[in-house]
Amino acid sequence: MIQLTNVSKRYPGGYDALKDVSFELAAGEMAFLTGHSGAGKSTLLKLITLIERGSRGQIVVNGKNLARLPRRRVPYFRREIGIVFQDNKLLNDRTVFDNVALPLIVSGVDHGEVGRRVRAALDKVGLLNKEKLHPIVLSGGEQQRVGIARAVVNKPPLLLADEPTGNLDAELSDEIIDLFHEFHQHGVTVLIATHDLRQVDRLEKRRLMLRAGELIYDSGRDA
Amino acid sequence: MIKNYFLRHLQTLFFSLGQMARAPLATLMTVAVIGITLALPTGLYLLLDNLQRLSGGWDAGVQISLFLKQDIGDAEAGRIAERLRAREEIESVRYVSRQAALAEFKRLSGFGEALNLLDENPLPAVLLVRPKPAHGSPQAAAALARSLGETRGVDLAQLDLEWVKRLNAMLSLARRGVILLAGLLGLAVLLIVGNTIRLAVLNRRTEIEVVKLIGGTDRFIRRPFLYSGLLQGLAGALTGWAVRSPTWPTSMAAVSGWRASARPRAFPWCWAGDCWAGWARGWQSAATCGKSSRPEPPQARVGPDGTAGRFPAPELPPRFGTLTMRVLKSTTDTEDTAREIHR
Repeated sequence: MIQLTNVSKRYPGGYDALKDVSFELAAGEMAFLTGHSGAGKSTLLKLITLIERGSRGQIVVNGKNLARLPRRRVPYFRREIGIVFQDNKLLNDRTVFDNVALPLIVSGVDHGEVGRRVRAALDKVGLLNKEKLHPIVLSGGEQQRVGIARAVVNKPPLLLADEPTGNLDAELSDEIIDLFHEFHQHGVTVLIATHDLRQVDRLEKRRLMLRAGELIYDSGRDA
Repeated sequence: MIKNYFLRHLQTLFFSLGQMARAPLATLMTVAVIGITLALPTGLYLLLDNLQRLSGGWDAGVQISLFLKQDIGDAEAGRIAERLRAREEIESVRYVSRQAALAEFKRLSGFGEALNLLDENPLPAVLLVRPKPAHGSPQAAAALARSLGETRGVDLAQLDLEWVKRLNAMLSLARRGVILLAGLLGLAVLLIVGNTIRLAVLNRRTEIEVVKLIGGTDRFIRRPFLYSGLLQGLAGALTGWAVRSPTWPTSMAAVSGWRASARPRAFPWCWAGDCWAGWARGWQSAATCGKSSRPEPPQARVGPDGTAGRFPAPELPPRFGTLTMRVLKSTTDTEDTAREIHR
């Protein structure tokens, strides 16, 4: 699903965020990307979602070589990826329903279909009864679950999360990570960037560790 | 698929409407600014247009006096008049015999008694020629006068045009000023609109970012901006029209005693539409504003306006008077513009 070969990213000014990173994530696999702040976790996710372009090396996501993907195809490529953010990036001027519906509206899904799929996604994250509320009145954990519902409503084969538990306490973190695990069990490829080692130990999934832009540890596929 | 496309556009339209309704003050201010900025140049243009119509009326009142040679009798003069009437550029010919000319002169000059002392009528017979409106411009009338001056039996052809020329020169100067002003104000509208859009984009940066991250195309992101722009531009154009339309005709009528023509241009609609959305959604604005109508050439003037049609100008010859200005119904599209109401 994700294949990185000797990927480097140098930001203007000479800062090397990633140095010669190579790994492969098979379809249906779940992995944690760990490392301290500034180790390059976010940069890696940005490269995979084409928010940034790599300086060197090859990235293939879902069979697409990102270096050869023209700019106008980028939106369509992103529809195949569900992204969950640390600050969940919900729109506070719309209801929970409208927030979750956004990816479907963006890709022009039929009106009746939108309602059905939004409710299915909200049901999965256990927020079906809050669809008419605005995100601002929800708790932090609930907001993050809305963010996850929005990420999966399109049924993407790949789910990326950047510090999804960064703002949550231990109990809520468990809930969120379990939710990701559930999607993994349904066949979705999941890559979670986190520095919460407790979660990594708890689930015993594959672990990729970055330090100062270099991949220093990979527990392997069989974990 | 196509149904979905229109549905999406309709959704965006209502979304933009809702957004405008949620910030009524900001919307109102933007609309007012656009409206006033549009009303100024178009209002000036309207004023100028009316003035030109006025001068157009005077052009039609231009007449050429043909002083006949002393030895031409009434019968001969009648024949000359007949020949002139047959010419296509001439609207009417009136014959003033020597006796009639003398009588009029006596009446107007107040020299009545003194003139009785003359043993011979010193005045020549006159043919008063009125060119058709199409030939009423200063140049055409002068050319006509020259050609009539060479007619057999005509002693002198006289055309007094100085004041018409002066007025036209003034009008063309004013027109240049208005065009300059309109250009500057149009630029101001563009800048205001550009700034408003910039602010709107800044206000909704998070939204744009999120939509981009979940795979929204640039077109999808642009659409609501284009729609709110289109709507605000349209509302601004309406405001501009509303500001201008009632004031100019009435004030013109009050000043001159004429029924001035209100001729709301279609171009503010197009302007507004074009400013906001034209570059990307030309067909949208085109569909909304329709095509702008061009001013037609001066039309045949209809008869005296019973109520306010006469121009009260005692120092001008009486034939200058009767001209009716057209009162146009205020319209938004070309079809209605075509349905002009003559009064």
